[in-house]
Amino acid sequence: MLDFLQAVSDGVLFGATYALIGIGFTLVFGVMHKLNLAYAAASVGGAYAGLLVLGVMAGAPPWLVFLCAFAAGGVLGYLVYLSCFHFIPLGSPLATLMATVGMLLLIDEVIVHFTNGMPLAYPAMFDDVMLRAGELTLRGDLLLVFGIAVLCMVGLLLLLYRTRLGLATRAVSQQSVAAQLCGIRVGLVNAMTFVITGLLGGIAGALIGASVGALSPLLTTPLTVKGLIVTVIGGLGSIPGAIIAGLLVGGFENVFQLFRGVTERDLYVMLLLFVFLVFRPGGLFESKDDHH
Amino acid sequence: MDFYFGLAQLVGVHTLLGLSAYIVLLTGQVSLAQAGFFAVGAYTAGMLTVLAGWHLVPALGIGAIVSAATACAVGFPALRVKGLMLVIATLAFGEAVRLFFFNFDYQIAKGDIKVGPLGGEGFRQIRFFPENGWGTLEVMLFMWVFVLLVMALLWWFDRSRYGTALRAVGEDEVAAQAVGINLTAIKVSAMTVGGAIAGIGGGLYAHYTTHIEHSSFNILVATFALAYPIVGGLQSVFGTLIAVIFVQAFLIEGLRELGDWRNLLFGALIVLAMNLRPNGILDARALAALKRAFTRGRNA
Repeated sequence: MLDFLQAVSDGVLFGATYALIGIGFTLVFGVMHKLNLAYAAASVGGAYAGLLVLGVMAGAPPWLVFLCAFAAGGVLGYLVYLSCFHFIPLGSPLATLMATVGMLLLIDEVIVHFTNGMPLAYPAMFDDVMLRAGELTLRGDLLLVFGIAVLCMVGLLLLLYRTRLGLATRAVSQQSVAAQLCGIRVGLVNAMTFVITGLLGGIAGALIGASVGALSPLLTTPLTVKGLIVTVIGGLGSIPGAIIAGLLVGGFENVFQLFRGVTERDLYVMLLLFVFLVFRPGGLFESKDDHH
Repeated sequence: MDFYFGLAQLVGVHTLLGLSAYIVLLTGQVSLAQAGFFAVGAYTAGMLTVLAGWHLVPALGIGAIVSAATACAVGFPALRVKGLMLVIATLAFGEAVRLFFFNFDYQIAKGDIKVGPLGGEGFRQIRFFPENGWGTLEVMLFMWVFVLLVMALLWWFDRSRYGTALRAVGEDEVAAQAVGINLTAIKVSAMTVGGAIAGIGGGLYAHYTTHIEHSSFNILVATFALAYPIVGGLQSVFGTLIAVIFVQAFLIEGLRELGDWRNLLFGALIVLAMNLRPNGILDARALAALKRAFTRGRNA
């Protein structure tokens, strides 16, 4: 029983990073009704770019690395927007999908190129701290990961619901034509959505690197798949859904790993997705607007 | 010369992969599961020739049938999932198939060695072609018989009522239903045919590479399968063929001197192609222009 609770708590804490990735996918889908398959790759890319700080200033504090990853993620997000969404006409959804796949491959290969495919160690904070809550052990670095993720989610929700940009974003996601008629610049809103999700992605990548201890280009594929699973379980277009689903997937994943080992763990995460698709295809929080 | 035959074999297998995604794409379903059906066909055909000692042709047939059955089983739940969610669901399915084969062991002893799929190590010793004295040229011709048969079948579909129904469903499901087209039958049958084609491709792939493992059927292969019809254009089967030749022959082999930079170029080229020609290399306008060029004399 204790092992089970420990697995759940570790999983949920790590699941906050999945929640951030899920939010990125779901936000882009909600605003532009397109899928950005390059998102997880851009997050990992942002995390790698964060390591450049260490190259410039050896022995830099980890929070500086995280900050750099945060900023780099935003830049990468804008690049993905420019190359995959800005110029392609809205009537060709397949073209944007393929273009994002192309960017995914490109970012992956650039990472492999510059690191020669070797995994790089990632700085972590508080990794020697162990808190005890009764019989459970809570790793300090995982708690920090969870804390930063929660901060980012709160920041995003504040942005969306308390600022003009957030208002414009919500308007465009509900009715883009009406938003244009109100004078909102849809192109700008779309670009800013990508920058914001890129920022979130950069910090998510950095947090994943910090909790695993190393970054590897092999991280992109499983992260893409898990992020998409989180998005679907939470409901495409719903941010609270993505948050809850992220924690859920993180917890389940760890529990599956406890019972069946690492090699079969991902198979059961897929099965979780299929169960949701069969019983609740819209996700946990089905999106109320249904313009296809 | 063997090098070019090998290249033709590669193009052949990838064309089958692309065509399996093509027919599903016609109905508007974006499926990243084709690599999964490819894997099922590969392992089935391989196991039949190696473990049961069958000849290749019936093994390919059973492989195609098993893949088609799997695709049919996927096709029904796929009806419940719309649009981009289907992309995610099929992506997860493809990964699930790959993980299944990663954990799949079934070995029997033949002589002193054990043959059969062995989880992470994969399925070695699929030696039907070398054991029966087939040379590179014969293998290539054998493969291309299947490729041409499948292309002819899809070409014929395009000219028949079935093909029109497929495209109608792809364009606008509500309008197609209003005209009386049975959505379930069309979508599930397209998925099944796609699965069968991928199964044949998989069986051929297993035998020409003689060693398959779970990582040969990863997401990259699934995206290749989807990239060929999208980059080539959905108007005609030849679009997929042109895209395969463009990607495999030109990009991967022709730019061999660029070494490591090739892979970078591949992603960048897809992004460029999608920005410049969002409807594919052989889109409706290009096809119409080609038709005019060829029938100019006849109509004059």
